[in-house]
Amino acid sequence: MTERRFVRTIAGGAGFAGDRIDPAVRLAASGRVNAIGLECLAERTLVPGLRARRLDPSRGADPRIARRMTPLLGPAVANRCRIITNFGAANPAAAAAQVAALARSQGLQRVRVAAVTGDDVLHLTRQIRWDGSVDGDLIGAHAYIGTDAIAAAAQEGADVIVTGRAADSALFAGDLLPHLDGSDDALAGAIMLGHLLECSGQLTGGNFEAPGPGALTAADYACLGFPVADVMRDGTAEIGVLDGSPGRIDRLTTTLQLLYEVHNPGAYITPDLIVDFSNVLIEEIGPQRVRVSGARPAGRPADFKVSGFVDRPGAVADVEFGFVGIGALDRARIAADTIRLRLSDIADEDIRVDLVGVNSVLGPLSAPGSDRIAEVRVHVSARFDDAANAGVVEDEAFGLSLSGPAAACSFRSETRPRLEIVNGFVARELVETTVEWQLS
Amino acid sequence: MTLVRDIACGRSGDKADTLDLTLVAIGEDEYRLLAQVLTAERVRDRLAGMIPAKDVEVYPLPALRALKFVIRGALPGGVYASLRPGLHWQKAATYALLDMPVAQ
Repeated sequence: MTERRFVRTIAGGAGFAGDRIDPAVRLAASGRVNAIGLECLAERTLVPGLRARRLDPSRGADPRIARRMTPLLGPAVANRCRIITNFGAANPAAAAAQVAALARSQGLQRVRVAAVTGDDVLHLTRQIRWDGSVDGDLIGAHAYIGTDAIAAAAQEGADVIVTGRAADSALFAGDLLPHLDGSDDALAGAIMLGHLLECSGQLTGGNFEAPGPGALTAADYACLGFPVADVMRDGTAEIGVLDGSPGRIDRLTTTLQLLYEVHNPGAYITPDLIVDFSNVLIEEIGPQRVRVSGARPAGRPADFKVSGFVDRPGAVADVEFGFVGIGALDRARIAADTIRLRLSDIADEDIRVDLVGVNSVLGPLSAPGSDRIAEVRVHVSARFDDAANAGVVEDEAFGLSLSGPAAACSFRSETRPRLEIVNGFVARELVETTVEWQLS
Repeated sequence: MTLVRDIACGRSGDKADTLDLTLVAIGEDEYRLLAQVLTAERVRDRLAGMIPAKDVEVYPLPALRALKFVIRGALPGGVYASLRPGLHWQKAATYALLDMPVAQ
């Protein structure tokens, strides 16, 4: 017999490092929310932290912490709303110290900030089973940790919990766990809820298009409500937005987010539990409100997933320029062919020449509606094993403005390092997480 | 002619070199039609040219009226190694399926 007793309200306040700041402030100030999870760490966004920490061991946390927390900390503390976030990036302890210092500077006393560490597993490189080569410069290796340390910090009354690489769902489930009934069904429900909340507006009508009425307007998107969940002791939940906030939350938006990036929906692997989403029930119980239940445990993984970041030697050049007016598409096609002839010594798999506005994203599946398009851009990217050679793409593109089809214009050029992310697995018992405290 | 987008919504995701596409049908009948038409083979053929030819794993989810397609190796080197312009082209990959005809 499950018990649908309400225990806690938790919200999704950010879905990536650069996400909007104001929705979380509104959620905290509402007084309706006990905890807000801020998911601020994609695979890519850990890398600048790793690079910064190499130069200065006191750095490596998300550079946006001051901007994000300055308006949020006061309303959160005043309303006893816990913040759980992975913006510690490559240095959770430094991030926690920064939050405590910010609290002091705002006159907020006795704010307890917990730093969860242990996800950095670079020292375990030899015990990690890598999916691919980590040859080159392995600049970091981070395990996706689960709820253990987060839940421990929550139980000890942390006001702010800062992690580095943790499973996104664990930020939310770790806060909820001490309030749930202790069953694996409830844990599965909390992990599912975390997975639903961790992409902020993607659950409430963002990045969404469906047939029929209900499309959001620019004014709606501009102040889209982020998701708020009222959680029951059995791990089921009701999800909506703050009263008066625009947003769409129904079976379609919820199902899309439920299945987002899970691969096998019958076995979504998280550090704490493998979860079966295939029989989840999504009930529309109000105009902007759904009830979610039915996530089931499907085993416990023996290993933690690891992301390894490898700087390969060389560079990627990425150059674009445009053509306009009648015949723009013809001139762009000739320019693209010319560039390919000029760069014929680059192997096919190391160069891509396409037309932005025609076929640059979906290739042959981006069928143009008409040849009479007003503007089109030629895009050229190529990878080089020696970074010193990458400038040739920019030079050849500019060269077309003198020796190619008429009126190539509006040039843009950049060179990127060749970063690759390699997945691996490490035995969970090798990963030791700890909690360090800061007090304002 | 009915397109997938007339009876479903979709979203793309990725992890490392794996492309992960979801379609959710607007109703039971629409789900059955999609599940019947969008076989692994049909999806692989449709995506040819957009991504390297790889096996497509299909997860039919009748209770959710949804289909999940997982294509391992579709994004060689991961999304940051892509030579397409800008970052995250794959966020639009589901439109290759949404714009596909599903019935006359």
